[in-house]
Amino acid sequence: MSVENGKNELSNVDKSSIMSHEGNTKWLNAHNDPVASLYTFSSCMAFSDISGDGEAKLVIADLGTGTFDMKLKVYKGTTLISENAIIDLPTGVCTFYMDNNEPRVPAIGVASGPYLYVYKNLRPYFKFTLPPLDVNPVEQDLWNQAREDKIDVTVLREMLDSIRREGNEGALTVRSLKFLMLQDREQMESFANLHKVGQLRRQTVITCLDTLHKSTAEDDAISCLVVGTESREIYVLDPEAFTILTKMAVPSVPVFLSVSGLYDVEFRIVMSCRNGNIYTLKRGMKMAKLCFELNSQPVGLQRVGKNIIVGCMDQTLQCYSTKGKKLWTVYLPAAITTMDVMHHRLKGFKAVMVALRNGEVHVYRDKFLINSIKTEDIITGLKFGRFGREDSTLVMSTKRGGLMVKILKRNATFEDKDSVRGPPASQQQKLNVPKKTKVFVDQTMREREHGVSMHRMFQHDLYRLRLTTARAFVKALDSSLTPVSTNPNEPIKLAAQIQGIGPTFKLTVSLQNTSLSKPSMGLLISFLYDEKLYSLQKTMIAVPLLVPGLNYTFETLVECMSDKGIADVIKVFVVKEGRSTPIITAVINMPVSETMVVV
Amino acid sequence: MGLLDYFARLFGSSKKEAQVLCVGLDNSGKSTIINRLKPDESTSEDIVATVGFTVERFQTPGVRFTVFDMSGQGRYRNLWEHYYKDAQAIMFVIDSSDKMRVVVAKEELDMLLDHPDIRVRTIPVLFFANKMDLRESLTSVQCSRLLELEKIKNKQWHICASNALTGEGLHEGVQWLSDQIKL
Ligand SMILES: Nc1nc2c(ncn2[C@@H]2O[C@H](COP(=O)(O)OP(=O)(O)O)[C@@H](O)[C@H]2O)c(=O)[nH]1
Ligand SMILES: [Mg+2]
Repeated sequence: MSVENGKNELSNVDKSSIMSHEGNTKWLNAHNDPVASLYTFSSCMAFSDISGDGEAKLVIADLGTGTFDMKLKVYKGTTLISENAIIDLPTGVCTFYMDNNEPRVPAIGVASGPYLYVYKNLRPYFKFTLPPLDVNPVEQDLWNQAREDKIDVTVLREMLDSIRREGNEGALTVRSLKFLMLQDREQMESFANLHKVGQLRRQTVITCLDTLHKSTAEDDAISCLVVGTESREIYVLDPEAFTILTKMAVPSVPVFLSVSGLYDVEFRIVMSCRNGNIYTLKRGMKMAKLCFELNSQPVGLQRVGKNIIVGCMDQTLQCYSTKGKKLWTVYLPAAITTMDVMHHRLKGFKAVMVALRNGEVHVYRDKFLINSIKTEDIITGLKFGRFGREDSTLVMSTKRGGLMVKILKRNATFEDKDSVRGPPASQQQKLNVPKKTKVFVDQTMREREHGVSMHRMFQHDLYRLRLTTARAFVKALDSSLTPVSTNPNEPIKLAAQIQGIGPTFKLTVSLQNTSLSKPSMGLLISFLYDEKLYSLQKTMIAVPLLVPGLNYTFETLVECMSDKGIADVIKVFVVKEGRSTPIITAVINMPVSETMVVV
Repeated sequence: MGLLDYFARLFGSSKKEAQVLCVGLDNSGKSTIINRLKPDESTSEDIVATVGFTVERFQTPGVRFTVFDMSGQGRYRNLWEHYYKDAQAIMFVIDSSDKMRVVVAKEELDMLLDHPDIRVRTIPVLFFANKMDLRESLTSVQCSRLLELEKIKNKQWHICASNALTGEGLHEGVQWLSDQIKL
């Protein structure tokens, strides 16, 4: 399987390979509609019993084409039971109980632009708008002038553009940004005329959404909404009155949230931000605290127990403690598209599901891969939980707009395949240790009695070895027997090579001036060898000027004159005119020559 | 002792006793079906979700049934197999309106049929494709195809569409079961 031609679509995957994929056998294929025309992400999917009949529905904010057909869809089992149009692009969906009224039905919250739309019993119920931001005074002034026709549209455009260039784009209102996108004068004029009278408002956009239980932790307890915004703020909203309970600041734009705890008691919000850092917020804090920095952009964030698990763009899954200490990293075979937590209630464990670019979904319990699912398409949205009446259902939306439902088999078991924790099994095995022999006992006795003198002897020999080594080294330096020059005035590297099988060999010498800028001049290459054994074509090679950094090669032929199957060494010297010791030396062990076959 | 009782005993003793195990996923309508099959005066109004199992008795002309109504919730399904040994017939209820979970029903059925206490025995299996009244429900033919019932070779089986709320289809099924047991 490969990503082809940058189209990011899986090449046609063999169906039978999917059927027989080992990890898939743990799941029942409850539904697969490859043409559900559903375009969504994990953050826009939720399971909830929104009609209170004991059967969890699938709530999806469908992004449509991105400009048209944005819809809030509700599936009961595999049938679509409701559709509501959404005006702008949805960024998140959550379900929550907003009151204690009977019958207990949760509401749906859909984040879209600066608004949070709340639906109850599948009908629009409330629209919450984030508080507007301050308008840049210069921008305000410009539009005031435009209203009084004191300013030309091209000047207006110029001035607005300079504000945009100074700060970031978020500093301008949507009106100014749209105005800046217009190309010709007529369009600009009609746009300015149409909009200049209205009040200028700068609004932010919701980037992420989650829920936080208010005062009790039961599944159906009232929850607050937690909203992250493009203006680098986190709001906690009251679910009954939709007032802002708390506003907190974050150093960068929050992208993924993970919320735990109770609003009235103690809570913690972990968020990954657009600057690649993870921050945490606790009750009472005004500003988020840095938890850890990542070396690659996060593409998913989940909490499992006390651990924070982040999927990164560099194809890794990294786990950190809440204190920011890195616990482990798993390297994945492909890039991550989305993530979710698999909470297996029956077996009582939590694992992280990671959807990959190669169409697979991997399930990690701690750092161990316990299951992998293969699918026909790239998964963009992933949700595990109670759907319908099945506790362990996995719903996946695909890149081509498909919808897949898999149900975990009741008696599927998962093992930490790649390791049993603790020491490896081989460590438990008893070794077949032989009985102690007489020799062994004698040795032990000797060592025990003469321990001190043995140690001294060893130390003595060791020092002598070091001394001999040091002497040989000094000698080598003195006579420049090394292939790298130690003379700082002539920094030259030598490599010599012998080729051929004989009786004629080719000797190649390559020289490199390793200094940064100083050329070497007046060098010669000469050879030392047994003249009875070898004859060289050139016994002396004049070296031209060596430009720093370049590699020069020189060649000569060597003829072996003996047919007795003996070999000797040839020493290669690089010498400088007017100096008695060579600059560098290389010793070549000649191979035994093949004898000439005279036909 | 009245004459009537006497006759009842006389005929009663000629009746066969049969233990039937009623299984199927939760919410498929097992308890509702059994409640419907009981004599009128003992039917209960509200059916609440079964926890563990309940035992019910009723009779048809010829067979006296003792039915074990098992809970179908995931965490109780492993109780079923403890009753396989003594069961003389299986009643398997499917919610034909729950298309998504037909695969789960099939998985449970396959495990049941493959159990050592069931596999080699020739006990009859009755299927109810229940909730036939709901608009989106599958027909009994579709159910038997999805469950691959044609693969059951060593047992007599029968499937009827049913509506446990009105009782439609139930008697046909129970009649078939009595006939099988009387044989
Ligand atoms: N529409 C319809 N609903 C049914 C039918 N049979 C059962 N039900 C309903 O399905 C629900 C579950 O029934 P129950 O007997 O408790 O299922 P059990 O878990 O299999 O015992 C109840 O609300 C019943 O009223 C049927 O044939 N048609
Ligand atoms: Mg029941």
